This record gives sequence, C-alpha cells and structure tokens, in this order.
Amino acid sequence: MPVLEYKCPNCGSGMIFDSVSGALSCPSCGRQDNIEQLPDPLKKQVFTEGEVKEYHCNSCGADIVTEPETSATTCSFCGAAVVLSDRLTGNLAPAMVIPFSINKDQAKQAFKKWCRNGLLTPGGFMTADRIQSVTGIYVPFWLYDLHNRIEVHAQGTKVRSYTQGDYHYTETQHFDIYRKIRLEYVNLPIDASEKMNDELMDKLEPFPYNELKLFKTPYLAGYIAEKYSYSEDELFPRAKDKTRSYIDSYIASTVSGYTSVSYTNKHIDTTLKNADYVLLPVWMVNYDYNHKQYTFAMNGQTGKVVGKPPISKAKVAGWFTGVAAVSLLSLKLVSWMMGGGFL
Amino acid sequence: MSQKRPVVAMAALIVLLVTMLAPIFPISSASAAENKNLIYDEANLLSEQDRNELNALANQYSAERQTDLIIYTTNNEEQKEDKLLTQEFYDNRAPGYDKPHGNTVMLTLDMYNRKVYVAGFYKGEEYVDNDRTARITDKIYSDLSEGNYRIAFEKFLNLSYEYLDLKPGVNPDNILFKTWFQLAASVAIGGIVVGVMTYRSGGRVTVNRATYEDSANSHVIDRQDRYIRTTVTKTKIEKNNNNSGGGGGGGTTAGGHSHSGSSRSF
Repeated sequence: MPVLEYKCPNCGSGMIFDSVSGALSCPSCGRQDNIEQLPDPLKKQVFTEGEVKEYHCNSCGADIVTEPETSATTCSFCGAAVVLSDRLTGNLAPAMVIPFSINKDQAKQAFKKWCRNGLLTPGGFMTADRIQSVTGIYVPFWLYDLHNRIEVHAQGTKVRSYTQGDYHYTETQHFDIYRKIRLEYVNLPIDASEKMNDELMDKLEPFPYNELKLFKTPYLAGYIAEKYSYSEDELFPRAKDKTRSYIDSYIASTVSGYTSVSYTNKHIDTTLKNADYVLLPVWMVNYDYNHKQYTFAMNGQTGKVVGKPPISKAKVAGWFTGVAAVSLLSLKLVSWMMGGGFL
Repeated sequence: MSQKRPVVAMAALIVLLVTMLAPIFPISSASAAENKNLIYDEANLLSEQDRNELNALANQYSAERQTDLIIYTTNNEEQKEDKLLTQEFYDNRAPGYDKPHGNTVMLTLDMYNRKVYVAGFYKGEEYVDNDRTARITDKIYSDLSEGNYRIAFEKFLNLSYEYLDLKPGVNPDNILFKTWFQLAASVAIGGIVVGVMTYRSGGRVTVNRATYEDSANSHVIDRQDRYIRTTVTKTKIEKNNNNSGGGGGGGTTAGGHSHSGSSRSF
C-alpha cells in the first residue's frame, strides 16, 4: 500500500507534524507522539520506482491527484495528510530532514513584518493583505561533501619607491609563487527540485544543520514534499560552480604581502566524496499585487524571506532625491567649512 | 511662522537667481548712474559695447566683493616693465573700492612686451595672493595670445570674483569647490544608494566561503615564494617650472602700497 496516513490511536483523526513541539500530533485530542521513537513503516516495504500509477486516499477513497514529483500532500477531497511512500524509498529515500520550526501562522506574520520593512515597496504592498497562499514545502536538496586538490602558480611583485637626489626610483621585486592546497567543503546545499528557482533557494541559506534529523515519514504529515528531479551526479557541476568563488578567495588569502599577483595557472581537481539527499523546509508565499503574481520563499527554520517584491517608482524617486539632496548639502557644507563659497 | 517661510524661501531664490543670471545679463545693471569707470582700455582693444558690458560686470562684482576689479591696457610706448606699469597706475590714479589707494585687484596688459600682469592690493592682496594671481594669468594667457581680449577679461573678472570669496590660503582649484562636481557626486551617491537598496530588496546571500569549509581538514600543503629578480626604473623629478615666462611675484609701489602679483607672456 503506497499511501501512508497517520491515524490517531486514541480518536482516529488524522495526525500531522507540529512544528512547535516537533512531534506528530493529533489536532482533535491533542495526543503527541515522539517521531524519533516511532517505527517507520517505510523501512519494511520495497517498491520499484514508478510502479504505482494511481493513489487512493485511505480516508475517503478518492483519487489523490498529484504532480509526478510530489511525495507528500493532502487529499484534495477530505483534507487528510497523505504520504506517497513509493516516492520516498529506494534511491528516493532521503537520508535526513530538517523539520519546520515555523508554523503557518508564524510564517504569515513573519512575511507581513518583512513586507512592512520594505523601503522601496509600494504602500499597497506593505499592508500584505493579498496573500494568496502559504504553502509549506519540503524541498529536495543534495548536501555535497567535496574534496579539492588545488595547485596554483602565480607571478607576484613587491613594489618599493623612494627618492634620491633628482630622481624618483621605483624598485620592483619579482617572485614566483606556488601553492598546493587541500580544501574540503562539507554539506554544501544544492536544490534538486526542477520547480524551485535556484537563485531564490541559494539566498535562503544558511539552514541550521544542527536541526538535521534522520528521515522519518511522519515529519511530512500535513506538508507538501517533493522528490528530487536531478541526481547528485547531474548537479555536481553546479556544486563545483558554487564553490569556485570560495576557492578563489581561499587561494587569494594564502597569497599575501604582494603588491600585485597574477595567476598563470590554477589547477583545481574536485572529487565528490559524498552527497546526502535531504529535505529542507521552505514556506512558499504567493502574493497578488496589481494583477501580478509574486512568489516569495521563506526559510522554514530561520524565517529569512527572499524574493523580488514590486518596486515603487515614486519611492525610488523619493529616496534618490532625498539622498542626492542631503549629499549635495553636506558637500556644500564641507566646501564652505574649507573656506569656499556656499553657492 | 508658516506665513514667513515661503517669503524667506522666495527671497533666497531671487537672490540666487540674480547672482546666477547677473554674469549673463550684465547690461541690466549697467544703467546705474553711479557706475565708475574700471576699464582703462588705453590700447583700444575693445569695442565700445564690449567696454561698457565689461565695465558693468566689473562694477557689479566690485560692489559685491568690496574690491575694485580693474582692467588696464596700454601700448607702453615708454617700454616700462609690466610690474612698474601696474605700480605707477596704482600710485597715480589711486583706485580702490573703499577709499583711494584701497582694495583692488587689477590686470595690466602690456601690448608692447606682450605681457600680462595681475596684482592684488589690500583685500585684493590678501585674497588674490601670488599663488592665485599666477593661477589667473595661467588661465587667461592663451585667450590673450589668440586676441580674444573680451573673453580673457571676462575670465579675469569671474576668477577674481570667485577667489575674493574663498578663504585665503586654500587651493581655489580644489575639485570640492566646483558646483558641477558637487552635483555629479550627489547624483552618483543617490544612484548608488538607490541601486543597492533595489538590489537588496530581493534578499541577500548571507553565506560566505567559510560557511561550508571544513577548516580542520583544509590547509596549504606546500608553498614556495621564489625570488627571481629586481627591476628598477627612475624618473627625473620635474622642477616646478610651469610658469614659462611667468613669475614675478608681488612687491611694494613707490607710494608704499604692498601688493601681490604674477606676470606672464602671451
């Protein structure tokens, strides 16, 4: 049976994950089960990927309509929280999960607060009264452990200048620089969902890794979860891309004391040591303003909000004029204090 | 209070407009009857109209800065030195805004030797010192050699007017004093601030290279800094000699009036 539901042993209602207590809880009778001590039914079952074409809700029997990536959702007829277990086993079994610590109401409040702080957003947007939907999604990420062997050759100069007699001397010392570096990166997150905007997901970081828990399906109850669209090998180039600027600045930090450095050869050999499949908590906020849809993402642990809000031209003009006027006035004051005319 | 504000603002605006437009329409104030003659064009380099317009401008600036701005051109038939010409002019004709032999900045154009001399007396000496007179001659000599006398004289009037308002001793060519620079810098600052605000409105990346680095296992295994060679270049230090044919400096007239000054060929 590929569809999992969590029925309360006391009263029979559907149980969901409660982000405040971190337990599987029953909204009707208040029963709370510690997830880490629950046996996970997934461990006993083996499915072949893509075997099941149709899912039926255990509560009402209706067809569960999902997208192919969805691994947890709610039944659109009766609202029961369901987990599609065949999309979470075998290769698709997540190693770990960071559960939500911010619930839906807190997410809404945090988003409204964020909107009010926007200095350039239009007044109508700041009231944040057009929230269309707030959806909690467990987004699939790969956490990469990367091992880099780096060899760098560079030319460096040290310049000293002094005056002697009628001449000005510039003395340049030339150096050959060589560095061999071992550089390890751990838990570098790359989002593996096709639907999610990469730039948005990158800005959501950092996720608190001390909240990582061994994956158990009850954490997903009541939320939407997705399975990865890209494997760890497919995303390896993106991981290398992402570390490239880190590596460059690490190299630069090892070459100090020179006036100028030009790199003649940088050899970076990156090997994939390990990649863990994890689910990370993200609140997606859809917002309707001026007949346009805006999408924002919020880190489900830290509450950090990212996404492009609408920009008010009037406020941009106002800030520009204000800042320019203040700058002009202070420049005038400085020149006046130095003895110049004010006008 | 709220009634007064717009009035004050309007008054300030009018003063501003007048000072800004005055150099453009010098004729408007030329009609004032008490205008004294400040243009002594004895070499006949200017047309009647140019002479009148320059005189009006000189009178207006003189009144604002309490210092007479005088232009004196001569064919110098007696072949005197430009400095001496200036000193004799000052001693004999006794110019000055506040009193005879008073505050004056004057330009002497010696058409015989083709030399220009700018001098400052009293307040003029304090504000338009040797350094500043040299700056003025530097800025107008090329117009003079091309025969654009009217333009050169106007520049002299404008520069003297500007320098008489700058605290003595500060560099008048400091870019901070230039209105165009102040405007451009303000616009640039405004643009940068708004640009950064817009860029940051969508959320920022708050991870850096240290976030995912396993620093315990990352280190430099091998390093070499090998010295190869030293190259030396030398340049001769230019002596401060950009006043070609210039120089001179100030002095004291036969009548005992101390002055600043700078001379330059054109």
